[in-house]
Amino acid sequence: MAGGGGGLEKGEPDFQIAPMVDVLLVILVFFMVITSAQVLNIDQTIKLPIAPEASKKDDSRQEAIVNVRWDPTTERSVINFQDRLYERGADLIDPLKAAKAHGDQMAAANPGQNPEFRVVIRGDRDVPALFVSQAMNAAAAAGISDIAFSAVNHD
Amino acid sequence: MGFQIAPMVDVVFVIMLFFMVMAGAVKVEKELATKLPGSIESSGAVEFNDETIISISDEGEVSLNDEPLDPADSTALPALRATLMRLKESADHAKQPVVVTIESDPHAKYSRAIDVLNALASAKITNVTFNVNEE
Repeated sequence: MAGGGGGLEKGEPDFQIAPMVDVLLVILVFFMVITSAQVLNIDQTIKLPIAPEASKKDDSRQEAIVNVRWDPTTERSVINFQDRLYERGADLIDPLKAAKAHGDQMAAANPGQNPEFRVVIRGDRDVPALFVSQAMNAAAAAGISDIAFSAVNHD
Repeated sequence: MGFQIAPMVDVVFVIMLFFMVMAGAVKVEKELATKLPGSIESSGAVEFNDETIISISDEGEVSLNDEPLDPADSTALPALRATLMRLKESADHAKQPVVVTIESDPHAKYSRAIDVLNALASAKITNVTFNVNEE
């Protein structure tokens, strides 16, 4: 009964491949689940509306993601763009112009890419349309006419 | 002890089962594309198509060309979907594009506009502009 550690009676424990693969696969599953959760949590405070018929996200072009938050207790909306908060849509025009200029440069450097820059609006499902309209007006003033609205496939 | 195939297969089947069950529950972020209303640049003739206007009231009632179709509590919008399907079918026969403008009341919930965009996507109508009537 000499020695511990779950080895054989002879002394040196053998290397077991099955538990090793088991642990690796569990780690793989853990990272896959965490990654998809991180992709969804672009702005955790936003509860996206549901649209099962919406199309798959087009990742082949340059875009600016504008988050429109809604606080039901104060009944106020705040726009979150590139981790900065904007109370008024008009304040968003210059940052969007800068993002478009940068996106156009990136698209010019990659000739295979769709050159048209767009704005993706991630609005809270309870926000009044007026506040989404402010983000759309800012996009129009920045010279961007292509707008996409984010939604989730189910709750 | 050498390599044991039985526990390996066991673990692989458990993982496969996990992914099969989780596949339906995964929340995927999708998109609904629109164009902003604006001017067009053209040196040639411009063809004007009949425009269909979908209005959303502040309560969430949906109307098509001023005709009320679906009440505020219906998220699936069955009447609007059926009408849009027929409209798309007849436009395809006539080889004409369907041009739709969504006019939303500023106080209507944004999710209501997404419900309408979802109905348009189900009818495969892509020429959509979204506009909010600001007072």
